[in-house]
Amino acid sequence: MIHIDSAGISDVGKKRQGNEDAFFLDDDMSLYLVADGMGGHLAGEVASNIVVNTISKSMPTYLTPGIIEQMTDMDETLSREANSLVASIRKANMLVYQQSQEDAECRGMGSTISGIYCTDSIVIAANVGDSPIYLIRNGEIELLSVTHTVEAEQTAIDPERAKMIDPKFHHMLTRAVGIEEDVNSDVCEMQCFKGDRIVLCSDGLSNFVPPQEIADIATNNTPESACRKFVDLANDRGGDDNITAIVLHINKVVIKKNLLINFFLKLLGR
Amino acid sequence: MPTLKLQFKDTIIGEYPLEPGSSLTIGRRESNNVVIDNMAVSGTHAKVDVLEDGYLITDLKSKNGTFVNDKLISSHWLEKDDVVTIGKHKLLFTLAQGEAAPQSHEANSDKTMVLDTEEYRKMLDRTAPNITAKPQGQKEPMATLSFLAGGEGEFDISKKLTKIGKDPASDIVVGGFMMGKTAATISKRPTGYYLNYVEGMAKPKVNGKAIKDSVQLKEFDSIEIGSARMEFIMKE
Repeated sequence: MIHIDSAGISDVGKKRQGNEDAFFLDDDMSLYLVADGMGGHLAGEVASNIVVNTISKSMPTYLTPGIIEQMTDMDETLSREANSLVASIRKANMLVYQQSQEDAECRGMGSTISGIYCTDSIVIAANVGDSPIYLIRNGEIELLSVTHTVEAEQTAIDPERAKMIDPKFHHMLTRAVGIEEDVNSDVCEMQCFKGDRIVLCSDGLSNFVPPQEIADIATNNTPESACRKFVDLANDRGGDDNITAIVLHINKVVIKKNLLINFFLKLLGR
Repeated sequence: MPTLKLQFKDTIIGEYPLEPGSSLTIGRRESNNVVIDNMAVSGTHAKVDVLEDGYLITDLKSKNGTFVNDKLISSHWLEKDDVVTIGKHKLLFTLAQGEAAPQSHEANSDKTMVLDTEEYRKMLDRTAPNITAKPQGQKEPMATLSFLAGGEGEFDISKKLTKIGKDPASDIVVGGFMMGKTAATISKRPTGYYLNYVEGMAKPKVNGKAIKDSVQLKEFDSIEIGSARMEFIMKE
């Protein structure tokens, strides 16, 4: 069992008319989501809200024993919980895509999604798009998400050739929720430890606050305080985009221990 | 009211008024309001909606894309003097004499755009012909544990999280009195493979050193968990 302290915040920033980001946070469900919507005419707000609402409502269903196992395309390399999160994202994708087809004003709308789900001592991170998920451990920061932009992908394949691509394409997303009929999420499952910090945010934060600064603020503040500092910093530096962040503190990781081993551990004073 | 002037090479070949509340479709098929008979134009290529707060042009998932001022768009609020390019034709967004320019929409600037798979491939072909978009199932080297003791053969690390321990449901079962049910896990993260200590008296060792919580694995690292000894290798 993981004990988590969490906080989330979303701010329209200083230059945008509306907030097209959405987030969801629930400690009981151990589910944390950030979605950055896009699309003309504030359709982005519609997209990001469909995404977080669909995933938060679908997760309990998919997690029910027997449900996810019935799906024909379960990913064998992932745990059933990770499969549930991926399935929820795919369902959200379908709903956003359908609405964008049916509603003229929603045409072309889409969203990123970055999500964390915790079970026992395992943390599952899934993402589509460019909203980062960071792990901060012992002061060091690491990206758990995979950035789905042209620049990031092509640089990973061949940095020299990536430089040949016109800069106007660099920040375009290569994947988003709701743009095509189906979507592939990138997933990471890992052990978490007491003292770990996790930050999920939209690029309205990460484009203005570099990783090391995010690490320092998340490490040295309560989740609520870190969230407020993130928004203030991004706004001070221009507030060009909507700013959304969720900060998690892993306070305790309790593993159901074997009684006998427990006894020996106590004997040895551990 | 503003109009769209259809231009090919240097000649204006058509003019289409943008009536309030109307929608203008553009494409190769004759059923469109603006018919452009050219192979580079899709049957239904794009449309312009005349809405309360402006003139919205939307690309309808065309094969070759819709450009405004040479920028690929999915949707865009037309502004004074915008030039729309569809195939080899241009559509000039023209205001009437003395007409006020439509309000500029901030949604036009800094809008994140998404390239769907086909658009991505086309863009790469156009911009840098030698690059290919990363196919979804690109072959990565397979991380493998090669048993030196306490087991036989090789174990391919295919899962995102591999469980090692006494529990028979573990991916790698290692026995022993001091072994935890799940003694250790190996997680595959974007930055690489990590060995994590979970529980039990027997702490895993990497290259002879006991690990505290988590350690990134490098090729040829030797791992000791209880009576098992394995080497971490990357197979092409």
